[in-house]
Amino acid sequence: MPCTGRVAIIHLMKALEKGADGVFVAGCLEGDCHYQAGNLRAKKRVAYVQEVLKSIGMDPERVAMYNLSAGQGPRFAEICREMTERVRQLGPNPIRKNGERKEKAA
Amino acid sequence: MDTKRDGPLGSVMVVGGGIAGIQAALDLANTGYYVYMVEKSPAIGGVMSQLDKTFPTNDCAMCIISPKLVELGRHLNIKLLTLSEVEGIEGRVGRFTVRVKQRARYVDMEKCIACGLCAEKCPRKVDNEYNQGMSQRKAIYVKYPQAVPLKYSIDEANCIYIEKGKCRACEKLCPAGAVDFSQKDKTHEIEVGAVILSPGFQTCDARPLVELYGQNPNVVTSLEFERLLSATGPTQGHLVRPSDHKEPKKIAWLQCVGSRDSHRQGAHSYCSGVCCMYAIKEAMVAKEHCQDPLDTAVFYMDMRTYGKDFEKYYNRAREEQGVRFIRSRVYNVDAVPGSDDVLIQYASDAGDQSDGHPEIVVHQEQFDMVVLSVGVETSPETIELAKRLGVKLTEHNFAETDPFTPVSTSRPGIYVCGLFQGPKDIPFSVMEASAAACAAEIDLAPARGTQVKSRSVPPEQDLSEQEPRIGVFVCNCGINIASVVDVKAVMAYAATLPNVVYSQEYLFTCSQDTQEKVKQTILEHRLNRVVVAACSPRTHEPLFQETMKDCGLNKYLFEMANIRDQDSWVHQKEPGPATEKAKDLIRMSVARAALLKPLTEKPLEINQRALVVGGGIAGMNAALGLSRQGFEAVIVEKEPQLGGMARNISQTIEGLDVLAYVDKLVQEVKDAGIEVLSGSHLAGLSGYKGNFISTIDTGNGAREITHGVVVVATGAREYKPKEFGYGESDRVMTQLDLDKLIRQHSGKVSKWQRVIMIQCVGSRNKDNPNCSKICCQGAVKHALRLKKINPEMDVIVLFRDMRMYGVLEDYYTQARKEGVLFVRYDEKDQPEVSFNGPGIGVAFNDLVLGRRVSLGADAIVLGAATLAEENEQLATLLKVPRNAEGFFIEAHAKLRPVDFSSEGIYLCGTAHGPKLISETIAQSMAAAARAASFLSNKDMTVGGVVAQVEPGLCAACLVCVRNCPYGVPRIDPEKGVSEINEALCQGCGTCVSECPAKAIRLGHYQDDQIMIKVDALLEGVV
Amino acid sequence: MIMAKPKPIQEIVNVIKDFDKVLVAGCNGCVAVCEAGGLKEVEILASALRMYFANQNQNIEIGEVSLTRQCDKEYLAEIKDMVPKYGAVLSIACGAGVQFMAEMYSEKPIFPGVNTNFIGVTLEKGVWSERCAACGECILASTGGICPIARCSKRMLNGPCGGSSNGKCEVSKETDCGWHLIYERLKTLGQLQRFEVPNDPKDWTTSRDGGPRKIIKEVSQA
Repeated sequence: MPCTGRVAIIHLMKALEKGADGVFVAGCLEGDCHYQAGNLRAKKRVAYVQEVLKSIGMDPERVAMYNLSAGQGPRFAEICREMTERVRQLGPNPIRKNGERKEKAA
Repeated sequence: MDTKRDGPLGSVMVVGGGIAGIQAALDLANTGYYVYMVEKSPAIGGVMSQLDKTFPTNDCAMCIISPKLVELGRHLNIKLLTLSEVEGIEGRVGRFTVRVKQRARYVDMEKCIACGLCAEKCPRKVDNEYNQGMSQRKAIYVKYPQAVPLKYSIDEANCIYIEKGKCRACEKLCPAGAVDFSQKDKTHEIEVGAVILSPGFQTCDARPLVELYGQNPNVVTSLEFERLLSATGPTQGHLVRPSDHKEPKKIAWLQCVGSRDSHRQGAHSYCSGVCCMYAIKEAMVAKEHCQDPLDTAVFYMDMRTYGKDFEKYYNRAREEQGVRFIRSRVYNVDAVPGSDDVLIQYASDAGDQSDGHPEIVVHQEQFDMVVLSVGVETSPETIELAKRLGVKLTEHNFAETDPFTPVSTSRPGIYVCGLFQGPKDIPFSVMEASAAACAAEIDLAPARGTQVKSRSVPPEQDLSEQEPRIGVFVCNCGINIASVVDVKAVMAYAATLPNVVYSQEYLFTCSQDTQEKVKQTILEHRLNRVVVAACSPRTHEPLFQETMKDCGLNKYLFEMANIRDQDSWVHQKEPGPATEKAKDLIRMSVARAALLKPLTEKPLEINQRALVVGGGIAGMNAALGLSRQGFEAVIVEKEPQLGGMARNISQTIEGLDVLAYVDKLVQEVKDAGIEVLSGSHLAGLSGYKGNFISTIDTGNGAREITHGVVVVATGAREYKPKEFGYGESDRVMTQLDLDKLIRQHSGKVSKWQRVIMIQCVGSRNKDNPNCSKICCQGAVKHALRLKKINPEMDVIVLFRDMRMYGVLEDYYTQARKEGVLFVRYDEKDQPEVSFNGPGIGVAFNDLVLGRRVSLGADAIVLGAATLAEENEQLATLLKVPRNAEGFFIEAHAKLRPVDFSSEGIYLCGTAHGPKLISETIAQSMAAAARAASFLSNKDMTVGGVVAQVEPGLCAACLVCVRNCPYGVPRIDPEKGVSEINEALCQGCGTCVSECPAKAIRLGHYQDDQIMIKVDALLEGVV
Repeated sequence: MIMAKPKPIQEIVNVIKDFDKVLVAGCNGCVAVCEAGGLKEVEILASALRMYFANQNQNIEIGEVSLTRQCDKEYLAEIKDMVPKYGAVLSIACGAGVQFMAEMYSEKPIFPGVNTNFIGVTLEKGVWSERCAACGECILASTGGICPIARCSKRMLNGPCGGSSNGKCEVSKETDCGWHLIYERLKTLGQLQRFEVPNDPKDWTTSRDGGPRKIIKEVSQA
């Protein structure tokens, strides 16, 4: 992605639909978007997806928006751990669980 | 006049292929000059290539220099002469004839494929100088795995055949028939218009300075330690101590080995300027390398973390990483009997101890390893070179320069940059390199473009009828990837993926010779898509895309899988899963590659005018640097007159008249016909790189100016202290106030009995964590002036660390000799200023005496911080970033110190961070050189990754118009659909993701091209 | 333009849950502009439904399509080969589009995916507001260009009701009093004397009261 401004709602939805347990968007720090405000658009889209997830009975916490700069390697690692831990708590994406069940049945 | 005979030549020789030389060569070659790069070793890269990481960003040195090496190696307009030295020079500025002796390589560079078979079989082992003698190499060797050129060479001093007439093993075994013992040394006579010297430095010999060095292998120099940390070093980056190959638990750094030392033979009185920062870096990186907690201690006199964001780095090391910093004098480094450990005995100030005994306290501590932070010096070879070229040296053997012409040597037409000019770090070397390029470009401006060749790229293949044929190139990155990821397995896996017709692994895919192999492979296997599984596209994508172009492939048919930064580096301890992740990443990239489409780019004319914002020393020099190269410059200055902050400074520490210099610059600006809009500011900006339209508020109506580039030179200001009673009494003043007082009322000043200066006022504290860099020299400069006015005057400087970096140290020494008293205070124990009627006094804790001292004074002079100018509006207009303290952020702290990440906008002077006038001048010339390199192209390409509207789908709903952060889309009144100008579109894709009808597509980031990666990643999951 | 708003997913689920295959059909007309029913929304809704049913262990196939307009037969005809493959169509066009789809494909259950709200304008990015009630007899000429039918909660024809307070409507403090706006506008126009001439009682037969309406323009007829 050139900018999180390019991250569309459907990208996040599709990732979950295809079985991802969680998706996070990592954008520039607020106020520091290389393209001015793409990260703010992304933030709103993430919030929208969270609403959609709620409406279909999925945990909105499976998507998240984070802001960090390219120089914050350790912060990125921390975010990855944080997100992984959160998703672990939530358990597998229910879609995936069903998928596995189907596979076993087949 | 016959210009052909008498005019300048359009070529330049750069002597020394370290980072400074590389930068100068690239700038010149990209601006229209032919460059001869003379390097004495078999490969370019210099000391930077030997470093592990670089401060203050901890970027991997090799990773950031490597693309530059390759760009230079493959540059059409740079002739690289390795194993070469300058023997003599004749002529004058504009026309020199340089005699270059090139030693025989004994390997035919055309034939050598760098397979390494020769070195494997060579029977002669010698110490590897690249690894500081800590490993061995063969007599036939390459300097390092990413060397440019990556061609073997025979070290004739160690070759058995050359020595004894027998062996020739390499020649027999070479599969390419490249070894050629018939090669002879050659002498070239090369005509150039100017010469740039960038021969670099060597580290001081530690042997005479620390007796144990050389006796105990666990005492190493800092450069040796860099090699121990480096993945290409003798231990492949596993930090072990040399004596027993065990991971160290405790390491000490001893600062100022060979620096700030006027007494011992082999040492230098100047400060080497970089050792404090590299010691901090090494300590932090060493901690990362160790499994168990590593104790690190830095023994120092003053921590000189004076550069941009350096103090924050120091704070982080101390407060977050637990690096111990011990202010001390080490008086003995000794062996510990019965072990390989090292004992350090040192003395520290009483004030650092809680018992408060009024005496120096001695301590000792034992370490597993000791790193000597060795200083820098000019090598004897460089001193000889200077003699041959008739270039004068200073008493410290650096090239003699004037602070107002910081890159000009004593001989016209010969310029200098990097460490040969004086101690400095990489960004300042790079700035000087661009400045030296600027100076040469000015000399040779009439000949620009006369000697360069242009590249013919084969016409682009039409792929519309072709099925994807993907080649996958998997990089070992030395051991960066290969030590964790099973590269062979990954390569085999890649071959099984759809549309992949070729997959192969390479040691360093980015190396020049591998690029040649990639080209051959593309052509041989008729590849029409390329996937490189290696490092980050951020640094390496352009390089691989060039290779694609050379094969007639559109550069957008390229995709990278980052299996290093995002895989092997972060999953070092889990090789199995890391290998699986590499496969996932490659599967994703291959899937995307199959969907990639060629994108077209087209040329757009560049407006040749430059707009310089700020008319101080920086802005005027940048404008002159461009104007003298034939580019029109316009200066916008907010004050009624040019000169900026320099109008408040009487002289430099060297005693040069700054006001006269400013007047001279103003006259030169006038003479050059540079338009100056004073009392004006930038009020609006539209357009884009190459074609900006600015609205200037002249205070007398608005002016519109079209221009191709912008140079930001808006300067900085002195902090108005809230501390120490500033403003309450005219006896409390800043250094600038003192300067004015001396200038206007020296009689009054001469009657003073005692002056107390307090440093770090508004710097290095919670509100402003930065060091303001120039206040220590300001205090010393004025202390010396006051002593000159009245030698009987008591001058006391209360400081935290005296940061008299580089050769400024001489003035610090001189000030102490002249009786200026320097007394250290602690940040937590600030001096107190008291007013008692007309008298004022300062009370402070003397850390050496260990007791409180109260002194009356005639004046208290505050070393007030240098703060960023109010520049928020400008930052918003230009869309360029600033750091927390308001200084502009350059594109890269190390290698792009005058560029902004947005092309066409450049930065110089104190708007970038506090710096000396000489440094400002160099940076301004550098900004001019960088801007010239952009402007000299006459046109640039537009298109590529931009948004495109599918008119048939567009509902003209205005969502794109309302969402674009740059206001680019508009509804075409004739067609009734949205239109996006490709020259204006920045390619962020915001509109694409908003469009309710999905009528907009972003080239290279179409939905299918994005989603296919998700599909590939999650293949088989649901 | 006609403004619509997506229906809650649960409501949609309830009507389509018994079908094996459902086609989500968008419209690139008004509902695309108000970001309720264009292709972007089709994709999002389809994805949400797929996830919902997958989580319910229900195997329902969701198809996606978007038409230039659903209020024209020719465009509706473009999916004539597609519709038969589905058990039902979920149209996220306005109510007109949904009905026309249902007329055209009368053998298929056609369900609405949006609530069609009003004829209105885009106030700003993401904010839409009602302006016209399609009453069939425009009186804007006498009301300063502000429609009392659409903008007064009570469709008063001759001045505000007693609930107008500080320019706001008693129905909601968020809503401007339509008649207050008319008053201010007429004042600006210097036409306050219009208040002296009452509007005639409105003939609602041109509106919904006269039953479903039809417009025929003979010159344009085939």
